[in-house]
Amino acid sequence: MDAQLLLRLRIEDFLFEESDLLDQWRLDEWLALFTEDAHYYVPPTDLRGDDADPNTSLFYICDDRNRMNERVIRLKKATAHSEWPRSKTRHLVSNVRVSHEGAIVRARASFAIWRSKDMTSDVFVGHYLYDLVADDAVFKIRKKTCVLDMEALRPHARISIIL
Amino acid sequence: MKSWRTGLNASPMTTIPRILRDEEHHRFLVPRRAFTDPAVLEREYGAIFDRCWLYLGHASELPEPGSFLTRKVARRPILFTRDRNGAFHALLNSCPHRGTQVCRERRGKSGAFTCMYHGWTFASDGHLMALPGSAAYPPDFKSDPQKQMVHVPRLERFGDFFFINYSRDGEDLATYLGDSGDYLKLASEHSQSGMVVVGGTQEYAIRGNWKLLAENSFDGYHAASTHSTYLDYLKNANGALGVSPLAGRGINLNKGHAVIEYSAPWGRPIAQWVPLWGDVGRTEIDSIYAQLKSRLGDDRADRLAHKNRNMVIFPNLVLNDIMAITIRTFFPIASDYVEVNAWALAPREESEWLRQYRLFNFTEFLGPGGFATPDDVEAIEKCQQGYAVGDAAPYNDISKGMARDHEAAFDDEMQMRAFWIEWDRRVAASEL
Repeated sequence: MDAQLLLRLRIEDFLFEESDLLDQWRLDEWLALFTEDAHYYVPPTDLRGDDADPNTSLFYICDDRNRMNERVIRLKKATAHSEWPRSKTRHLVSNVRVSHEGAIVRARASFAIWRSKDMTSDVFVGHYLYDLVADDAVFKIRKKTCVLDMEALRPHARISIIL
Repeated sequence: MKSWRTGLNASPMTTIPRILRDEEHHRFLVPRRAFTDPAVLEREYGAIFDRCWLYLGHASELPEPGSFLTRKVARRPILFTRDRNGAFHALLNSCPHRGTQVCRERRGKSGAFTCMYHGWTFASDGHLMALPGSAAYPPDFKSDPQKQMVHVPRLERFGDFFFINYSRDGEDLATYLGDSGDYLKLASEHSQSGMVVVGGTQEYAIRGNWKLLAENSFDGYHAASTHSTYLDYLKNANGALGVSPLAGRGINLNKGHAVIEYSAPWGRPIAQWVPLWGDVGRTEIDSIYAQLKSRLGDDRADRLAHKNRNMVIFPNLVLNDIMAITIRTFFPIASDYVEVNAWALAPREESEWLRQYRLFNFTEFLGPGGFATPDDVEAIEKCQQGYAVGDAAPYNDISKGMARDHEAAFDDEMQMRAFWIEWDRRVAASEL
């Protein structure tokens, strides 16, 4: 099979696995998909999210790996009130494109995520930008940026789930 | 002084509910219908949002002549500009011809604004520069005052903070701000060269009444319970926890404005070091602190560096100087829905390293993706849902610390009472 096509299929499979872990709230396993120097970002909606820099602009989320760990620790507690009882989530991932840049695989994908709780459903729409590295034939995520293709976080304010 | 009021007379569906305040017996009750009744919301627009000074923006958001931004303030679309001489203008963003929103971009730089509908073109100060087919109008048509974009009745600045007022009369901004002005000034003194709004706005909404967010913004009492996971995080996060205890006081700034000022264990990028920042950070923080002391004197520098402040300027400007500085403003769209805008404010001259920590700090606690704000949102929305029980349980209690209002603790509720007394005064005055 064409190597590029095969790579895309492998990445798609990997991203589907990640979504599934999030939707099942298997957050420790989700965390294990990331490198030790990983970052997780959600840029603001009034800047160009593809280029925005978390060191110079105010983001919604700019986690290093340590804070990703802490985010998972927090979300597992009943005292993370916003997510207790836990919301139902569904991550739809599509339009996956991949390219190589040295040892880094860059992936772009579209997402639509529903968060349902208290008889209300909210949607996050946007695209993912991933930097992945192959570690013993297993991919790991070094950087995940969730660019919201929305004008504002309205009518809700709950990036209390992981996008 | 005993002052029980009888607000709920004749028809409870049409009168505006009033607070119940009894200083002698340390009772203070807020009617829950104030959060749920659409008639209250309409009254609030007339009595509060159309009469009070409302925050519009910060000078740094319009850095040069020709800069502009659009923003909704109390339901109205506003075009905030700087003309070619650098003067600031707040225009109602609606074409005098047919009412179209003239500027449809969020921000940018332009000396002229052309309405997309019929092509009328306006300058940054709102005057009509040109219109297609002008030969079909009388010669003096273009200079007719009615054909110009309308200025917001009043625009004033306090330092670099710009406010507007939809009412032509009433006190000027400095008088309105009163004692809160010195706290705005204090926030500006973080920098020698001026404060700037950092790029990137947090724009979100909460399915709750706007006054719940005002209360929450300076509620010291809820931290331990609502934000226990944040405090756990500080303990876990390899040196994010400093040595200062959570302790301090509430200060009534009068006219509905109030602040809590307190020490806290988190790092402050203005001179409160925590171990996470390492030796390099310590050197930088020490040098900032030395500069603060020489610029402001020991007492003010100590307060600026080591005390946190959560301030609400009535009715809806929050300036929280905590693990970062946030400016937050919010407007009700419905009784149970509020739109929130929040910005990060930082010293212009701040080093790259410290700016990075400031933004990292901001997002650890604040905003929809932080470790704390989502739980505030949960609390606000659950209050709103709880009020659905209706008139059988008509009041909230916010009496904590009433017996010691002259020396209120940061986790008392004096600051909320100050807000509600002003709210009550204004909505009641509008009923006369």
